[in-house]
Amino acid sequence: MRFHSTVRGFSIFLLVLGISALVWAAEPTDRIKQTTDKILSIVANPQLKDPSKAPERRRLIRSAVDERFDWEEMARRSLAQFWAKRTPEEKKEFIELYSDLLERTYMSKVEDYSGENVLYERETIDGDYAVVKVKFVTGKNKDIPVDYRLRKKGENWLVYDVSIEGVSLVNNYRRQFGSIITQFSYENLVKKLKEKAEEK
Amino acid sequence: MKRFNLELAVGLFIIAGIVCLGYLSVRLGKMEILGERGYEIYAFFSNTGGLKAGAPVEIAGVDVGRVKNINLENYQARVALNLPSNLKIQEDAIVSIRTRGLVGEKYIEITPGGSENVVRPGQRIRETQGSVDLEELISKFVFGKI
Repeated sequence: MRFHSTVRGFSIFLLVLGISALVWAAEPTDRIKQTTDKILSIVANPQLKDPSKAPERRRLIRSAVDERFDWEEMARRSLAQFWAKRTPEEKKEFIELYSDLLERTYMSKVEDYSGENVLYERETIDGDYAVVKVKFVTGKNKDIPVDYRLRKKGENWLVYDVSIEGVSLVNNYRRQFGSIITQFSYENLVKKLKEKAEEK
Repeated sequence: MKRFNLELAVGLFIIAGIVCLGYLSVRLGKMEILGERGYEIYAFFSNTGGLKAGAPVEIAGVDVGRVKNINLENYQARVALNLPSNLKIQEDAIVSIRTRGLVGEKYIEITPGGSENVVRPGQRIRETQGSVDLEELISKFVFGKI
């Protein structure tokens, strides 16, 4: 009898532990950690180090990033007031071009990162929004502070903006896109993005 | 009688001068005497870089409002902005603290968003970008590539 109650007590304890782990797993910091660890393991994977495996490696990194980044939200925020005027086809095309632009800009930096240390510093949750402050420590002992801004979508937390060294990515592109569209046109912006895509 | 008129004229002239001086100091000091016009919204920053109350708020380089006050709350800077009531700010607008030139004064820039929801008076703008320490960035750039 006593044995039974101990077993029951222990299993309840395990159950509670399991549930709390599940709840905890849904937190924004943990989502960012999952994705970061996944990418770091791809970067560090010796089987993918070979130059001939580079496209394969890039594809794997990209798919890991795709899981965590809300490209549509990022593109929408970057185009800001010009987003509403686009047709659904234009929006789709733009999201594609935009995510490729970011891939080209940041992929080499991700690939070069040797992953000395990643510090998860602070998390602030405000309703459906959260900010996760991360510090990437590079080999030269320089810290790169990165803030991920996430939004809750269903049960998932997705990134909609990234601040590196305190500079917001969305704000940067919002300014650039805005000045190109007002000076020239939306078509001109798309042309520029396509030209950049073909450079490599 | 003639003397009295002269004294009256001088008195009026001085009073007019004082009124002009008062008007000028209110205008130049950007003081509000007839209560507040417009509405107030606020934002949190991790670093204001020495932004002062009264600093301009700009959209596309156009002066649209003022920084009303800056307080410390939870070790973060809470910056209240005063904006004209006909100016709508979308909820995904980004408020950033910028510096005029390399060493110039600090001001607030709002880059408008595309959301249909607007920030109502007294509400908070979530997206912010604090002051970027140029000296720190330059030193990182200079010494980072060893």
